[in-house]
Amino acid sequence: MSSVKSLACVGIAAFTLAIVSPNALAQRGQFGGGYGPPLKAEKPPKEFATSDEHYEYLLAQAKGGTKHTLATVPRWDGIWNTAGNTHLDAFIDGPGGLAGKVREGVLTPAYEKAYKERWRQQIEEGQVRYDRLAHCEPPGMPRFLLEPYTHEFINMPQESYLINDFGPSIRRVLIGKKHSNLYGTHSWYGDTIGFWDGDKLILNSKYLYPADFTRWSPMTSNQFESVEIWQLKKYPDNVERIEVQATFYDKFAFLKAVSVEYAFRRATDLEKADYRINQWECEQSTNAYLDDKGVSNFHLPGEKGFNDARGSTMFPELPGQTRDPIYNTTLTPNSK
Amino acid sequence: MTNRSKFLSVAIAAGLLVAAVAEAHHSFAMFDRNTEVVKSGTIVRWSFNNPHSWLYLNVKGDDGKETLWSFEGSAPTGLIQRGITGDTFKPGQSVTFMYCPLRDGRPGGAIGWARAEDGTYLNPADGGCNGSKDNIARWEELLKKGVTTQTQEPKEAKAQ
Repeated sequence: MSSVKSLACVGIAAFTLAIVSPNALAQRGQFGGGYGPPLKAEKPPKEFATSDEHYEYLLAQAKGGTKHTLATVPRWDGIWNTAGNTHLDAFIDGPGGLAGKVREGVLTPAYEKAYKERWRQQIEEGQVRYDRLAHCEPPGMPRFLLEPYTHEFINMPQESYLINDFGPSIRRVLIGKKHSNLYGTHSWYGDTIGFWDGDKLILNSKYLYPADFTRWSPMTSNQFESVEIWQLKKYPDNVERIEVQATFYDKFAFLKAVSVEYAFRRATDLEKADYRINQWECEQSTNAYLDDKGVSNFHLPGEKGFNDARGSTMFPELPGQTRDPIYNTTLTPNSK
Repeated sequence: MTNRSKFLSVAIAAGLLVAAVAEAHHSFAMFDRNTEVVKSGTIVRWSFNNPHSWLYLNVKGDDGKETLWSFEGSAPTGLIQRGITGDTFKPGQSVTFMYCPLRDGRPGGAIGWARAEDGTYLNPADGGCNGSKDNIARWEELLKKGVTTQTQEPKEAKAQ
């Protein structure tokens, strides 16, 4: 196992890293502390009834926004990973992890009841029974803000593209525009407009599907809207962190606006490893499904519904059709 | 509570905390994370794929018959940060591994740690099983005593 041997040194160091891996520990502010100072959610300067009011206020404060050119627009090139957030602090009281309890008075009665059931499943059954992503729905907003995998952020004067390779997921930010909804319905990422205030990118997202933040988070309704302030900050030890101060409005789910901070760090470890983002899609590369007990489960090789992500081909008679040309392996299902 | 059970409780609580906050595209409810089992097998395929990696192995049963087992691991971006790539596990290699089984008893589960023939331990785990450095150290001691299965009591973890 020569390749394993050659990776031994990296592996030993990586065990430590794994413990604080942002993939594993992305949910509480203190867990993002390994990359820059602790995160802290900032409430808006005053209370707003809607995200529109909030956004217009910020736009007026910025005197219509900074008109960047290609030469001046802030560049956030490179690969980014999630780097903690204060997300659960907005919804859970008490110590971190499973020891906390759902905070009362944040969510409307119906959404609070639903959240308490999700939290009960998390504690008593060890996991919420099902995650909609398991059948390949996109993360959507607001889940985009805390979903791991790899991110890219591309800024241009008229548009910004906020990309997660999950799916992939792309939030398109139209700079200096008004909201538009020609489809006349809602969607996973809705419609996002924005403006620049110096090096801060301010966003307003609307027309979103009802969804959830994560398995251990509250549900959101089709009236969920957000105002976000994105800014790249630099800290000692070459830490570059894009910090997102987000305020959420949802008349069905929240009793009043909720403010949370999210963060992404430049993934220098992935960049040093010469990592490339590969296009991938969920439908043919996952075997998760909802079973007849209402619990997530897997199709295994040989079972009906199994997707062989590296082996499937509709043209086995042709050479070179396997998706696993390097090792060219075949999964032989167990005999019944 | 004995020292051993205290240690176990802390380990379980730590494991649950990490697992609870681990992000993936699906719930881990199908895995019995309170049970950890060690087996050896021959690698058939290492699918270094998003949204999760999968390690497929042939495992020989007591009757000598080989069964294909399937184990889910973390996403590639998380694994690369631990030094694991698409070339780390190759078909035909022998490996000893720890996993948390599927609750329904089919041949599969969530991978915890894997030990190569040269003794190198790797952690390809996601939130479904605990492949941490601490858990590897615990298992090194258990394996010296001939233990290959650990069933832990979730009630103790909840009490933490």
